[in-house]
Amino acid sequence: MSKEWERNVPVFDIPILTRQFAALCTLGIVACGLVLYREAVGLGAASGMNDAYAWGIWKTFNIMALTGLGSGAFSIGIAAWLFGRRILHSVMRTAVLSSFLVYATGLMLLGIDVGRPWNFIWILAPWRWNVHSPMLEVGFCMPLYTAVPLFLEAVPPVLEWIHSRCPELESTVEMAESLLKRIYPWVLGLAFVLPAMHQSSLGALMLLAGNQVHPLWQTPWLPLLYVWAASFMGFAFVSVILMVCHLIWNRPLDADVLREMSHITAWLIASWLAFRFADLAISRRLALAIEMSAPSVLFWAETLLLLSAALMLAVASRKRNFRLAFQGSLFAAIGGILYRFDPTTLAFQPRAGAFYFPTSIELLIDIGFLSLAIASFSLLAKVLPILPASTRLWRAMESARWNKSIFHTRQAEYTQYTAAD
Amino acid sequence: MEITRRHLLGSMAKGAATVLAAGGVSSVALADGSLAEEKQEASQTAIAMLYDATRCVGCQTCVSVCAQANNLTPDTRLDPLHQPPRDLNDTTRSVIKLYKPADGTPYSYIKQQCMHCVSPACVAACLFGALKKETGTGIVTWNPSLCVGCRYCEIVCPYHIPKFQWHGINPRIVKCEFCKERLVHGGDPACTSVCPTHALVFGRRTSLLDEAKLRIKNCPGKYYQDRVFGEREGGGTQVLYLTKAPFGKLGLPKMGDESIPGKYLKWQKQMYSYLLFPAALYAVIVSAARRNWNRHEKHLKEEEKATGLRTQL
Repeated sequence: MSKEWERNVPVFDIPILTRQFAALCTLGIVACGLVLYREAVGLGAASGMNDAYAWGIWKTFNIMALTGLGSGAFSIGIAAWLFGRRILHSVMRTAVLSSFLVYATGLMLLGIDVGRPWNFIWILAPWRWNVHSPMLEVGFCMPLYTAVPLFLEAVPPVLEWIHSRCPELESTVEMAESLLKRIYPWVLGLAFVLPAMHQSSLGALMLLAGNQVHPLWQTPWLPLLYVWAASFMGFAFVSVILMVCHLIWNRPLDADVLREMSHITAWLIASWLAFRFADLAISRRLALAIEMSAPSVLFWAETLLLLSAALMLAVASRKRNFRLAFQGSLFAAIGGILYRFDPTTLAFQPRAGAFYFPTSIELLIDIGFLSLAIASFSLLAKVLPILPASTRLWRAMESARWNKSIFHTRQAEYTQYTAAD
Repeated sequence: MEITRRHLLGSMAKGAATVLAAGGVSSVALADGSLAEEKQEASQTAIAMLYDATRCVGCQTCVSVCAQANNLTPDTRLDPLHQPPRDLNDTTRSVIKLYKPADGTPYSYIKQQCMHCVSPACVAACLFGALKKETGTGIVTWNPSLCVGCRYCEIVCPYHIPKFQWHGINPRIVKCEFCKERLVHGGDPACTSVCPTHALVFGRRTSLLDEAKLRIKNCPGKYYQDRVFGEREGGGTQVLYLTKAPFGKLGLPKMGDESIPGKYLKWQKQMYSYLLFPAALYAVIVSAARRNWNRHEKHLKEEEKATGLRTQL
């Protein structure tokens, strides 16, 4: 492991306000307008949800499926902090920021989705809790995780930014940093226990739906499979982010880190697949996968996506092939999303004739919020030291900033001089 | 690297012992309390309805008095002249449906409303207990001041009973609540009180079960499988059915004897009993994280010395 690579550097050489950034923000503003419309007219007029498919994409896609992608801070964190994969510390900030944004959008959409949000105030009243409800576990744990451990993990780059921009606040920042350092191990404990709890409870949510979930998905192991899927989805998503940043912002890419991540993801997927097939075989449900039906096609789509992802990532980590690593991570992310989405919608059969398809309003709100998340990521990655790079890039940034400031001072001096003249 | 892992494994082994102990304690703690509730039997005072499809003439009087008694706008969306709700919906708590097979075998009516399960999935699912099973009567009630509107009850109900008001800014969950207001004043549920053929009767669950079994005994072969639906299905329900047509054809799902919460939440309950398992897991992780944290800080200091750059947490 080279010392060179252990620095997080802002994307200092690309302007913040680009056309794409403006487009993403516009989509976000449109979504906010549509949210007001949804609140005014109710869920029925704004969405495609109905009494048979009572949950729409805001829950089934953004919460049930996408928060799996937002599990980078959880799974990479465990590898880095508990299993001593020191090399992965350099991507922790990317993981934490992406997780925070995915969770934040999911929770906002959840707030829009529920019909009587004011009653959520009872979350503050423990005597009201139905402690055995998986929904309570999710509703309590997810906001708590986002607001406390994930938020605290995301704070250091901000402190660093304040430190470099406002020298007069130096002592305050240093105090905050030392406080954070003191509580950090306890924060880490929460950062790993809480996602383990709510990511598994997401699976438990569908347990109670009983026979309505197709038997290829319905199993008492659903909670474990959900959290397990979240673990490889987190790795895959962070790999994808790193490689996309490499492609569009020309950030350097650390082959060792990528190799390590591909390696771990491949094993996580392979063991997950083995476990799922073993469970299906032992409970004698595997025959369902062979008959020709829409659910079995879905099942094989998931399986093949994930199997090819595992193979590609295994080869990529051995041969250090970026292209394969990218494709493999993408397949792993999509396969994971599909697996976690299916039991809620495509493999969820409330009764014959029931149908759900999201309305354009639902889709636009979803797309708008995700656009805001992407815009926030690009803004923050350009301002804060988030993405991993070498100390060499850090020094390049410092000299670029110095040149710029010198230029400004010189210019000011010149204006002063000519004015005096 | 090797040392890290060995240390970690050591602390994990210690931790694992704690976790196992906690798991053991929690399962013991569970054995007396929460598990009992899954094998819940309907109490002696539980009330019930018995619907005998062979006596129902499909007049739908029960449907219209239900709307009246519960102050629901009659559902005239299909036909402005009268009230023919096609299904349970945001203004319909009870509905009569007709099953008419194409092959000419006898038709049958079927009444649908909340089954008031003995161990209801919706109650197990509800966040703050907005859906609650009343002790004594066993009515499953809905409390508007506790409901978040998450619609998880709609997802989990095997009979597809709870309906959501999809319009407006104050949407409610609509389902049969056994006319609890009328019961308080000593009355019968609206629907049972008007049935002209006594196809629908109200009473104690125990006595209605006896009555149903008596009817089966008196006319063997008259009823489907000589069986009462709701005696044991999904842990038992407080709305009982006697029909001639197969249950499956009438929208009564095939269910085992075990209740849905009993069948599917067993492990969940065990894992979260008194939060012992998560707490033990937390302790293990923090101890491992603290050890690694110290090593990490040392590494950061080395790096700061080597590069001359401020450490990044």
